[in-house]
Amino acid sequence: MATKTIVPGAPPSAPSNAPRTNARDRAERRLAFRMTAPSLILMALVAAVPIGYAIWLSLNQYSVRTAGLSRFVGLDNYIAALTSQEWWAAFGQTFTFAAFSVTLELILGTAMALLLNLAFKGRALLRTVVLLPYAIVTVVSAITWQTMFQPDLGLVTNVLSALGLPGGDVVWLGERGYAMAVIVLADVWKTTPFAALIILAGLQVISAETYEAAELDGASKWQTFVHITLPLLRPAIVLAAIFRTMDALRVFDLPFVLTRGANGTESMSMLAYGELRENRLVGEGSALSILTFLTVMVVSVIYIRFGGGNIRDVAKEEQ
Amino acid sequence: MDLNRPASPLHNKRNRKTLAATAIAAALLLSACGGGAAPQGAEQAAAADPASGANASGAVNICGVKDASGIYKGTAEAFTKANGKVTAKYTEIGATTDEARTQIVQRLEGKSTECDLFLTDVIWTSEFASQGWLLDQTKLVEANKDRLIPSTVETTKYQDKYWASPFFTNAGLIYYLKDKVAKPESWQQLYAEAAKAPGNAYVYQGKQYEGLTVNFLEMLYSAGGEVLNDQGDVKIDSKETRDVLNFMSDGLKNGSADRAVLTYNEDPARLAYESGDFGYQRNWPHVYRLLNATPLASSFGVAPLPAWEGGKASGVLGGWNLAISAHSTNQAGAVAFIDFATTPDWQKHVAMDYSQAPVNEAAYSDAAVLQKMPFATELLASVKGAKPRPISPVYPQISQAIYKNVYAVLSGTASTEDAVKKMADEITTAKASF
Repeated sequence: MATKTIVPGAPPSAPSNAPRTNARDRAERRLAFRMTAPSLILMALVAAVPIGYAIWLSLNQYSVRTAGLSRFVGLDNYIAALTSQEWWAAFGQTFTFAAFSVTLELILGTAMALLLNLAFKGRALLRTVVLLPYAIVTVVSAITWQTMFQPDLGLVTNVLSALGLPGGDVVWLGERGYAMAVIVLADVWKTTPFAALIILAGLQVISAETYEAAELDGASKWQTFVHITLPLLRPAIVLAAIFRTMDALRVFDLPFVLTRGANGTESMSMLAYGELRENRLVGEGSALSILTFLTVMVVSVIYIRFGGGNIRDVAKEEQ
Repeated sequence: MDLNRPASPLHNKRNRKTLAATAIAAALLLSACGGGAAPQGAEQAAAADPASGANASGAVNICGVKDASGIYKGTAEAFTKANGKVTAKYTEIGATTDEARTQIVQRLEGKSTECDLFLTDVIWTSEFASQGWLLDQTKLVEANKDRLIPSTVETTKYQDKYWASPFFTNAGLIYYLKDKVAKPESWQQLYAEAAKAPGNAYVYQGKQYEGLTVNFLEMLYSAGGEVLNDQGDVKIDSKETRDVLNFMSDGLKNGSADRAVLTYNEDPARLAYESGDFGYQRNWPHVYRLLNATPLASSFGVAPLPAWEGGKASGVLGGWNLAISAHSTNQAGAVAFIDFATTPDWQKHVAMDYSQAPVNEAAYSDAAVLQKMPFATELLASVKGAKPRPISPVYPQISQAIYKNVYAVLSGTASTEDAVKKMADEITTAKASF
């Protein structure tokens, strides 16, 4: 069995057969700390300080008239946000988007990874081609989707009409429900390759011997997939789910270009952007950003707690 | 707390520490994402001296949006050549209008001396002026007033002073297909004609964004309605607002306007219209040149925005102004550039070479201009009848309150009554935040 392979997300594995003393352990830990200190300091400067400052800003009220002068208002901005219809609407809309897009991306990503894992001629080329949507700037692909779903002119609406299918005369981006569907579709198209890439890495870790053993035991293709591939892929899928969910909960560019938040598509980030950049209401906007940040953090912690534990378990099993 | 004492953040030691910490954090945040608060409050800016342009020398840097038509660079080059002493350069600082605004706000907030002049959208004037970011151009505008169309000068006004000079203007026009529909005389007639056949429908900019505010205000102003009165009181909760909203939403229901307008900003509206499947289109003057390059070239006509039956037409002005930064190190050079850019002679080039609407009235009847821009007469009618959008430092919030609620009515998710009340509330709240 392969022992040196790296499972995505797994902690670096130490040689496990050598017995270790506590002293050596401590020395190692000190060394580790010293070696990571510079990057920890850098992280604190580029991440913690701005976040801390944003928290400070969110506790103040700035009016447009007195741009530099603030008034400490405590949690007023948070209370205002949490009691507003806009925040909860954006909250619900963002989670709807995340649930649909991440689920679809994981299912399609797994299928795509399985396909790319097969040995066939031109596989390297196909792997590159499949990644193309992910390489396109989101705003550009958003504009393309907007054009495709336009009534009268759009490729999708025209094809649907020509085939006599329903949807040809729907103003996709102008109706509640339909608009969200287009945004989910655009996101799935763009980021499924990313999910596939992570899952493919996980697939390649599974050793051929495992499959040989299954074959000897007379397992069918489906049984092999359900009982061997899927459980061993789980850490990779959880990792892809964490990345994609965090991204999805911060979604901004797709709804911004496609609908400007109309028809039930305004995300939490868009709401914060509107207050911060368009209205220059620094306190309110910062509070909304912090709330978005907390939401993403809570969801990530839940994932790591309930899904991420398995990453380590499986890594151990692998060894 | 002692209300009589000036609110100084430096009045005790603890605050000083906090301030130092926040200053460091602010520097980091500003360099990281460019957001955050300004380091200073509003202050009184100086005034531009109209006579100073004559003895100007040195370099002038003009900053603004991506120069798609070449008008900004072209003007800077022509000025440098004509002036001899001052050299002007155009610097693109944003790909889109929104991005340019962000970049300009950053520079102005940070007291940057990089740009002497900024190309500003007409709706930014009051916000920038209220922050003390701009040089007062009242004397300069007064000196040049006889060469400028009054409605364009109005867009530079804030609290009885002028803070910019108009460079080129913009007003909505109706494009119509002559073989299908009649020239629009009134909004009622346009909508009735558009409802006669599916191929006659009207397209405009109905997406949830600034353009919807403009489309709505054009109808509201013609109906005699207003958002804020001269004293700045909120006047949007009116019979006129309800009438216009009902008229627009009925138009979407009975097929006068195509439902797809709910997704259109300028370009999608134009592209849809170019398919030939519609009768009328509301758009800006630049569409004229583009439509001329399509098979519709021989069949379309141009008309000013219509009035309501028995009323007077009144559009909404767009366009770009030249504002001098309060931190410019070459204010005299900036004045010289503005003088050149607004001369009747250069304003003819604005129309002929770059298809933009001049701010000088004489240009519209010039033979050479009329040859390049045969709809100049209609355009002038639209420009002269147009009014500025609500003048307020919190214009972005006011506009948002308008387009979100108008959109809710048009898309059928809110009743007219609820939307009007909400719009008035949100505009009142926005005004209170200043």
